Amino acid sequence: MFIQQSQELKEKLAILADAAKYDVACTSSGVERRGRPGQLGNTAFAGICHSFSADGRCISLLKILYTNHCIYDCRYCINRRSNDVPRASFTPDEICRLTMEFYRRNYIEGLFLSSGVYKNPDYTMDLLYQTLWKLRFEYGFNGYIHIKAIPGTDPLLIEQVGLLADRMSVNLELPTAEGLRTLAPSKTRERILSPMRQIQQGIAARQRGIVPRMRQDRSVPQTWAGQFVPAGQSTQMIVGATPENDYQMISVAEALYRNYGLKRVFYSAFVRVNEDSLLPVLPGGPPLLREHRLYQADWLLRYYGFTAGELLTERQPNFNIFLDPKCDWALRHLELFPVEVMTADYGTLLRVPGVGVKSAKRIVAARRAGRLEFADLKKMGVVLKRAVCFLTCGGRMMYPMRMDQDTISAQLLGEERRRAWDISSTDSYRQMSMFHDGFLSPAPTEEDRSGALYGQM
Amino acid sequence: MTVFVCSDSFEGILCGVYDAWTSRLGHDNVRLELENTGDLRMFAEYRRTEETPGKAAKVIGAIRKKAGQEVYERLYHASLSCEEQKADLIYRFLIYAFHVGPKVTGLLQVPAVYELFRLNRFVSREAQHMIEFVRFSQTDGGILFGEVAPVNDVIVLMAPHFADRLNAENWMICDVKRKKAVIHRRMGGWAVVDLPDDSFREKLKASADQTEFECLWKTFHEHIAIRERTNPRCQMNHLPLRFRPYMTEFKRNGSENN
Repeated sequence: MFIQQSQELKEKLAILADAAKYDVACTSSGVERRGRPGQLGNTAFAGICHSFSADGRCISLLKILYTNHCIYDCRYCINRRSNDVPRASFTPDEICRLTMEFYRRNYIEGLFLSSGVYKNPDYTMDLLYQTLWKLRFEYGFNGYIHIKAIPGTDPLLIEQVGLLADRMSVNLELPTAEGLRTLAPSKTRERILSPMRQIQQGIAARQRGIVPRMRQDRSVPQTWAGQFVPAGQSTQMIVGATPENDYQMISVAEALYRNYGLKRVFYSAFVRVNEDSLLPVLPGGPPLLREHRLYQADWLLRYYGFTAGELLTERQPNFNIFLDPKCDWALRHLELFPVEVMTADYGTLLRVPGVGVKSAKRIVAARRAGRLEFADLKKMGVVLKRAVCFLTCGGRMMYPMRMDQDTISAQLLGEERRRAWDISSTDSYRQMSMFHDGFLSPAPTEEDRSGALYGQM
Repeated sequence: MTVFVCSDSFEGILCGVYDAWTSRLGHDNVRLELENTGDLRMFAEYRRTEETPGKAAKVIGAIRKKAGQEVYERLYHASLSCEEQKADLIYRFLIYAFHVGPKVTGLLQVPAVYELFRLNRFVSREAQHMIEFVRFSQTDGGILFGEVAPVNDVIVLMAPHFADRLNAENWMICDVKRKKAVIHRRMGGWAVVDLPDDSFREKLKASADQTEFECLWKTFHEHIAIRERTNPRCQMNHLPLRFRPYMTEFKRNGSENN
């Protein structure tokens, strides 16, 4: 009996983890909360990854769906109504038990709970709410919880769920309204944006000290200090399912950061899981390099003070395959370079390719005490291969170099082209061969000719 | 050259620093070494450092007063490093730190500061990795038992994290290389203990539901990966092979009940 039960749970876990894996958000960052005596768990501001799956993505949270039954028929989604896939649903107790036991063993940092839409959005959201309530107050779980807000849910329900979760997210899925109309006919942009706006306003109110009251029909432990979505909200966009270009994608991301106060926008390279005439065919596999470039640009927007309009324009709407967005920007603005390490301000240093947030901070701290050489920069984590083209130390470049686009791009490309190739063709190692790489093509001998004639090779 | 030999512990190194400093031989004429490491030098006088709490306390007091709490913490992390040279590196750093004061941590262009920064970074990163990757298994008595094999001596840095997180559990993290462990009592404090032999293992039999959850976790780990994106290189960058022998999801054993 016991074994039968556990097998059932195992099957469910397999089905509902499979169904949830295309959601990329798996961060446990944004909130620092100490443990509570007698309860299980705390949270770390920077987040903690606990494992990495075979695709190299981090596993931080127990990422599952409550159920993969769904009333919608979104064309890109594996759980669409018309798909013939095994369906399953957890019970709240099963989810609580899995979370608690995995967490105790240090497998996970918390729970990421999403769901297919079962019956209607309100009904599904209420199931998620019941689960979170149980987990927080019956099981005493104090770790990280990320929960999806289902578009079309009653605002009151979202408010109550937000009091129990650390992070909430509503998936934008497709950056434009047309894309959404084609691929997800039952979702509209308004229905997605309205819960996003509500969560933003809730967070803003919390920052001013106004927290909504919890439902009073059940007793809440005195120790629980209700916080509305303390780790902020995030969203996700699918890359490459619809014909939007990179400029549109990052403009949307920028608008979300600015107008909706999002913590993160995630990009998910489209994986063709369904056969559908409206979905693009991607013979080269998911557009991983494009996704990579979008993430690079996303970091530039959030931490490096760039704007979408600086990185791309209407005339140049897509990222360079061979150069990362920062190098590409620097090459188009050679008039600003080279920059002197000893005098440039922090913001300028951040814009130099090869210099990151940490290394820029280290440079600023170190140069107060004395001169810096290129060798010192390397110790501070600057990637000299890129930075040498754009930096001077004490008025000198590392070696004489012509400041023109051709010279510098040739210098940068050597490294970048190899890395771009690594990403776009993973796992296809090939040994260099004298015969195939054009170093040597031996003339055919007499035997080769006769062999070709008789069909013997 | 006079070599001061000290034991491999924070207090031991600080006592060495005290002796070397107060010997008045000049910084260039003294060196600190850990006992039983490296080759003996010719023409060097070896002096054994005597460990007394008073000497260490004096050095700690001076570090806190002149260089600040942050430097003190960094020195402690560096003292947990696996490098044999660490005692001398700490001495060279302190010469500079007493001279410049708290801002010393930023001056990475100074070799002595950079070396300490390097030790400190290695230790802190490994401690963070261990916090991420240690796996507990539940024993019969409800004790959570985890094993790690870190390069540096980091279990003491992991303890506060888990003491806060798993405050209502009895747990134990065992460093299999150094034969020591951190143990924590439910709702109580934690302590580092030496484990001279493996006799404690007999008492730590896996509980009945341990295999069930191991099996569930392996299932989850396998199913959460997207087949179209398989990328072992990337996985290896983030999760190097040396951690894997102690991680549930990478262990292959025949005890799965499916």
